[in-house]
Amino acid sequence: MQPTSELVGPALRARTFGSMGTVISLTVPAGAVPGAAGGEAKLDAATAAVERVFAGLDETFSLYRPDSEASRLARGELCLRDSSAGMRDRYADALTWRLRTEGAFSPERPDGVLDLSGLIKGYAIGQAGEALRSRGITDWCLNAGGDVLVTGSPVPGSGASWAAGVVDPLDRSALLAAYELGGPGTRCALATSGSAERGDHIWAAGFGARTAGSSGAEFVQVSVAAANIVTADVLATAIVAGGTAMLHRATDGWEIDVLAVRRGGELLATPGFRA
Amino acid sequence: MNTQLLTNRPGVRRSSGGAVNPFRAQYRRRLLRADLLTVLFWASLAGAIALWLADGGAAGFSTPAGSFTALGIVAGLAGMDLVLLMLLLAARIPLIDQTVGHDRALEFHRKLGKPALYLLLAHGILIAIGYGMAEGLDPVSESVALWVLVPDMWLAYISMLLFIAVVVTSLVAVRRRFPYEFWYAVHLLTYAAVLTSLPHQFSVGGLFAEGTWQRWYWLALCIATGAALLYYRVVQPLVATFRHQLTVKRVVRVAPGVVSIEMSGLRLDELAGSGGRFFIWRFLAPGLWWHPHPFSLSAEPVRFDAAGQGTLRITVRNLGRGSSQLASLKPGTKVAVEGPYGLFSTAARSRNHVVMVGAGIGITPVRALLESTPFQPGNATVILRGHSESELYLGEEILDLCRRRGATLFHLTGSRPAGIRTWLPEHAARAGHRLASYHPNITDADVYVCGPSAWAHNVLEDARAAGVREDQIHYERFDW
Amino acid sequence: MRTRAAVSAALASAGILIAGWQSGLHVADTGSSVASAAAGSTGSSGSSGTSGSAGASGSSGSSSSSSAGGTTGASAKAVGTYAGSVVQTRFGSVQVQITVQAGKITDVTALQLTDAERKSVQISNRAAPLLRTEVLAAQSADVQTISGATVTSDAYLNSLQAALDAANL
Repeated sequence: MQPTSELVGPALRARTFGSMGTVISLTVPAGAVPGAAGGEAKLDAATAAVERVFAGLDETFSLYRPDSEASRLARGELCLRDSSAGMRDRYADALTWRLRTEGAFSPERPDGVLDLSGLIKGYAIGQAGEALRSRGITDWCLNAGGDVLVTGSPVPGSGASWAAGVVDPLDRSALLAAYELGGPGTRCALATSGSAERGDHIWAAGFGARTAGSSGAEFVQVSVAAANIVTADVLATAIVAGGTAMLHRATDGWEIDVLAVRRGGELLATPGFRA
Repeated sequence: MNTQLLTNRPGVRRSSGGAVNPFRAQYRRRLLRADLLTVLFWASLAGAIALWLADGGAAGFSTPAGSFTALGIVAGLAGMDLVLLMLLLAARIPLIDQTVGHDRALEFHRKLGKPALYLLLAHGILIAIGYGMAEGLDPVSESVALWVLVPDMWLAYISMLLFIAVVVTSLVAVRRRFPYEFWYAVHLLTYAAVLTSLPHQFSVGGLFAEGTWQRWYWLALCIATGAALLYYRVVQPLVATFRHQLTVKRVVRVAPGVVSIEMSGLRLDELAGSGGRFFIWRFLAPGLWWHPHPFSLSAEPVRFDAAGQGTLRITVRNLGRGSSQLASLKPGTKVAVEGPYGLFSTAARSRNHVVMVGAGIGITPVRALLESTPFQPGNATVILRGHSESELYLGEEILDLCRRRGATLFHLTGSRPAGIRTWLPEHAARAGHRLASYHPNITDADVYVCGPSAWAHNVLEDARAAGVREDQIHYERFDW
Repeated sequence: MRTRAAVSAALASAGILIAGWQSGLHVADTGSSVASAAAGSTGSSGSSGTSGSAGASGSSGSSSSSSAGGTTGASAKAVGTYAGSVVQTRFGSVQVQITVQAGKITDVTALQLTDAERKSVQISNRAAPLLRTEVLAAQSADVQTISGATVTSDAYLNSLQAALDAANL
């Protein structure tokens, strides 16, 4: 365990819970939830709400749960036509993304199983954000297994941005770069995808026949900052799958910032990551 | 036979050439309009190229590939501008018709055909070369790439083929081999050629891209041309037809092979005063409706009542496949009418005196002009030419008009002298007469000529030789 | 009168052409043209903004008179940034800028790119090679959250994010 260092930054409060096979962290500024006594309770309630969002989606879409709708679909017990509206909507979203990324992002595994996990985590974060906003919490930072969505500022009312650090894939105890989220900028979501990661939704991409797994991937890690967490999540996945061509298509077609790490450790980045 | 000389009424003097010319102002205005149209013509071509210059296109000449592309773009702009101008010339726009006359407009239209095609061909070839050089492809591969990869280019290629078909079939040598209807059908493909060429102009190359002011200019030009065509060639004729409700009243045989067709209609006062201008008639009977006839009225419309109801008359000869069926027209047949067109009227007048020369069925517009054009007694001469007296159609009416209005009338009958090119009958030619003999002040006269083209050209030559200037000569061609 | 028409037409046309020419001079034009070629040599080589173009021949971008390999002109210039002339390709105008250091091209940037729909491509936001020292440096003390490839709940325990969360719990 890393020794905890003296906190010099803004005063923050955090809650964590496990879901979708990873850990979700909700961080809010200390004064964000009003009322000293009621504040903690409110934070707990908000965390519970976020946890419910994740749990609900995990129950439907997780392929690791044998009784989830996704697993039943995979086994053939259910056909897509008879599936829930939520399943079909997310599938439609995934297909749209497949079109936009020209196949680099695809919800279908090579074995034909429908795996929407690449989309669901981002979607869950977005839904959780809505839940937080509806509770009147205006400054928060939600991190679900490395995908970050923020609103407001770590120092409420100051206009300062949240700072997210990007992990160095070659040394996971060190940071490669920082990126400012929220605040005056438009980007409030940061998603990172890697080719050596849990969740094998980076199989052979649409163009350029690449074998599944890390052996053929050009980029070992890609971080995408965007205005929307699903966009960031999908594009990060797509760029890892699709390589340089997809990288350029993504930067051309969307307002994003990208930090891509090559297998040899070289970096490719848009101006937003520059010092 | 004989030359009959009918003098003026006694006591009337020929006026001298020093009198005030009431047509001077009208004449100068018409010339000004003509010059304005000329300026507009060249200015539009310059404008098309200036659009490209204003976009910084001249910078393309810094490289060989860029030069080819730049030339190709300029050729395309000029070519398309010419095509639009050609369409406008054929659109029967009143301003153009009243300034230079419909037949001259069409003549100019025909002349522009080949240059326009050459420019469009050059456009295609130069751009294929230029783009190809920029990408390391030969022109043929580049053309294929353009067809396959760039949206709207396949339409542009189709457009090119259509243009080639239209121009080739319009070449005189080719046109003669086919019936008029075939040529006309192919010519209508021009509309398809223009429409298929439009998409790529706005989507490829960047000059007319979204957001550029050039785009608005070019769009406005194309839309205005289309609107003019639609309005003047389709809407106005339809409106005129419904407005006047012309119906054939009776068909009268005037002479062997010549009939007068009388029609009744409404608001005919609007058609009055057209003098020798021609209308395009379509008789809405089976087998006749698709054949357009250009005929002038042979008399001013006669009005019955204040509402403008009345009759009008055309006199036609059985020439050609379409006209021969006119003799068997049934009363009650509805008639579609377009017009009036042409400059064979008072609007073309520029001088005090007027000389009207008509031969064969060309006498018809002369009769109409004689009835309406203003002149002082003694300042007008009418010459009718025919093989025999019976060919001088509407002879009594013309005689009557000349008597009433104080014009000098000559009947020139008889055949041409063999071996000599002249418009006169043998006896007059041998007597050494020329056009000026019939009207000594001819240099101060407007000369209107209508008749078979070979004969008419001889009259015009005679007039020019007598010192009559081009703007005084008004010749109506029937064979366009 | 024909003279009047001819002269007026000539004057009007000349005036229009000159006006167009003048207005065109204000359009941003290129800098010094680049002598060297090497389309897409090092770095991003991302100048083919042409979606759908099958081969790499689409808008290679560098100035038209490309010849393979650096010409003498380029190698003589040790350091500098050069913009090529604008090339008209079937997709629109393309202009490329290269950065030369010690006689080698170290960066290729597209200044003007249009895609198949002739829309100007977002080129200012392309990803370019970056040194580690050039990114916005980060210390775990300065950030409030960590973004990385998803870790399992077990791996989380040893992660930087866990450290941050622990500090805030």
